[in-house]
Amino acid sequence: MSTSLRPALRGPQKKSRPNRERDGGLAFWLVIPSIAVLTLVIAFPVISSIIRSLFGDGIGEAPFVGLDNYAQALWGYNADDFWAATGVTYLFAAITIVLETLIGLGMALVANQAFRGRGLIRASVLIPWAVPTAVAAVLWKWAFDPQGIVNALLGTDIIWTGSTVPSMIAIIAADTWKTAPFIALLVLAGLQVIPDEVYEAAKIDGAGAWKRFLFITLPLVKPALLVAVLFRLLDALRMYDLPEIMTNGANGTSTLSVLVVQSTLSQLKPGYGGALSTLTFLFIFVTAYLFVRVLGVNAVEQAGGRTGGRKGKKQ
Amino acid sequence: MNTKKGLIATASAAAGLLVVLTGCSGNASGETSDDGIGPITFASGKDLTGAMPQLIEMWNEENPDQEVTFLELSASPDDQRTSFVQDFQAKSGNYDVVWGDVVWTSEFAAYGWLEELDAEKVAGPDILPAAVASATYDDKVWAAPFMTNAGLLYYRSDLIDSPPTTWEEMDAACEIAAANDMDCYAGQFAQYEGLTVNVAEAINSAGGAFLSEDGQSVAVDSPEAREGLQHLVDMFENGDINAAGITYQEQESANAFLDGDVMFLRNWPYVYTAASEDGSAIAGKFGITTLPGLEGTGVSSLGGINLGVSAFSKNKGTAKAWVEWMQSEEAQKVLVSVMNQASVRSDLYTDPELVEVSPYLPTLEQSLDNANPRPRTPNYNAVSLAIQENAYAALQGSMTVDEAITQMAADLEQAIQ
Repeated sequence: MSTSLRPALRGPQKKSRPNRERDGGLAFWLVIPSIAVLTLVIAFPVISSIIRSLFGDGIGEAPFVGLDNYAQALWGYNADDFWAATGVTYLFAAITIVLETLIGLGMALVANQAFRGRGLIRASVLIPWAVPTAVAAVLWKWAFDPQGIVNALLGTDIIWTGSTVPSMIAIIAADTWKTAPFIALLVLAGLQVIPDEVYEAAKIDGAGAWKRFLFITLPLVKPALLVAVLFRLLDALRMYDLPEIMTNGANGTSTLSVLVVQSTLSQLKPGYGGALSTLTFLFIFVTAYLFVRVLGVNAVEQAGGRTGGRKGKKQ
Repeated sequence: MNTKKGLIATASAAAGLLVVLTGCSGNASGETSDDGIGPITFASGKDLTGAMPQLIEMWNEENPDQEVTFLELSASPDDQRTSFVQDFQAKSGNYDVVWGDVVWTSEFAAYGWLEELDAEKVAGPDILPAAVASATYDDKVWAAPFMTNAGLLYYRSDLIDSPPTTWEEMDAACEIAAANDMDCYAGQFAQYEGLTVNVAEAINSAGGAFLSEDGQSVAVDSPEAREGLQHLVDMFENGDINAAGITYQEQESANAFLDGDVMFLRNWPYVYTAASEDGSAIAGKFGITTLPGLEGTGVSSLGGINLGVSAFSKNKGTAKAWVEWMQSEEAQKVLVSVMNQASVRSDLYTDPELVEVSPYLPTLEQSLDNANPRPRTPNYNAVSLAIQENAYAALQGSMTVDEAITQMAADLEQAIQ
């Protein structure tokens, strides 16, 4: 809400200085309610989790332990588990995002063509996205059963959820099936705003299908695509349901979120769990920040995101 | 039928509330009396049998001034536990009586969430000793055992004459399975609570243990524990347990046996009913016995449900009377005959009428006589995870038995702190 206010204010700001002061005051009061709500629903839980992570666990009053919980995760007794979970979380994120982007882009290109039954294709592409992740996880768990449909179709005898690499393949397959449609949806929205005239002009100039894709579609859809990938990145780094349900975190598939839930809820260690979730939060934050800095400044600006707002402020 | 009854019960409870009209919902805290007598709420896991309203109605008819309200929570034990923990941490007292898996009693008691119960009333001589042990923590009784459970060995009586009593005999019988193109043994070996149960049985049967009796120190680093885990690893290695067995939970393993794909199955008594039903591929072709061990009968892990009274309950008098009544012969007969669950009263295992309905009762009693509660510690979930992760690595072959037990000992040390 606050971001959408700023561009509107930018115009008058430049015109006359005295108005700017008054607008600033008004803007302050207009923004106060949103800030209050954001503080309540975002800042409060984050800060209280950080504070809790500085205290110990166990029965009775929790003692203040400083950064011990963080030390335990980063280089203490649980370091092996923690770094293994970090590694597998990023591995899942990297592989699934690459696959989902390619498949999602393909789906969007198909769905964007004018042909009979286009509506049906568009709707059916979205079905996996509409299925709740937990339900999808159960479906895929059955599919990857040793006597399940995947082995039957492939003619193999693999015990998918019984060892490391097959478990990871199973989870990646399920995640890709589930969220490629999400990328397709956002990319499709990006494709639809590309005017037909551009393609027609390119055609007249003699550009083939591949060239039109490379020099028109791709650059013009890039902003939407990068936003889609950014959302997926944030999502993939907190993957929980699929490993929890399909393997129960066995076979090296415990992601950071699985560890957080395990410590906080199952083992009643809110202090250590708080440290883990703070670390997870930091990882995701830094990763997303780098992604936006390195790849996506333009994309986010064009999509009306916060970088645009920030630039406006500097002027 | 049962839903109808439930509706009637709910409706009458609602009407009762309207009459006293305190203006607040829930446990009607407005009418709390000082001696702790009055309406209570019983929070239980999902009632898969549909018979719980019947039990509650029996009580409510006799005690109209101490009405019990039935609150059904999730079917998932983890979610039930989360609900209980949140209620306890908020000290709300919304749940006067909680239904808890036997392994939670120590944790809830250690956190001070449960009211201590009178051992003479809820843990007397007619209650099975193993069930009493599961409700005991720090030499005090914290919950009333309500339902119990132990593992049984199901075997194909059409293929073998007499069931094995030791691991060695079972190994020998596996040749018959191979000759019939079947797998020999199935248990629960996926990485989840069922794996803790199965590994505990193997290690206890070989004379080992995870923790000391008081739960204060680690005892798993022993030759006996290694021998127990080695037995399971060997069965995976020589194919007595199918490689797919590492993904089995209760239902997958039961299905393998019900489909006639496996000769021996370790599971809970509930499989008996499914296996005997008309249309079952193995009806009349199977038998049950106690689990085999290293030298004679093995040690089963104990399952079941204990009823705890919340330390924050406002009507503790009624809550205590209700959990005692739930152990009475009257209530326990409903448990066995209608809910098809195992009683905590030893005298019901020989009741001819009940044995006719549930022929597995005498064998189950023997198994219960040899049953061990899983480690009793306030940090049960961390302990169980340490057991699961390392045992799983050994079964999978990514660690040797020796490495797995050494690592398990270190992880357990960390877990019980």
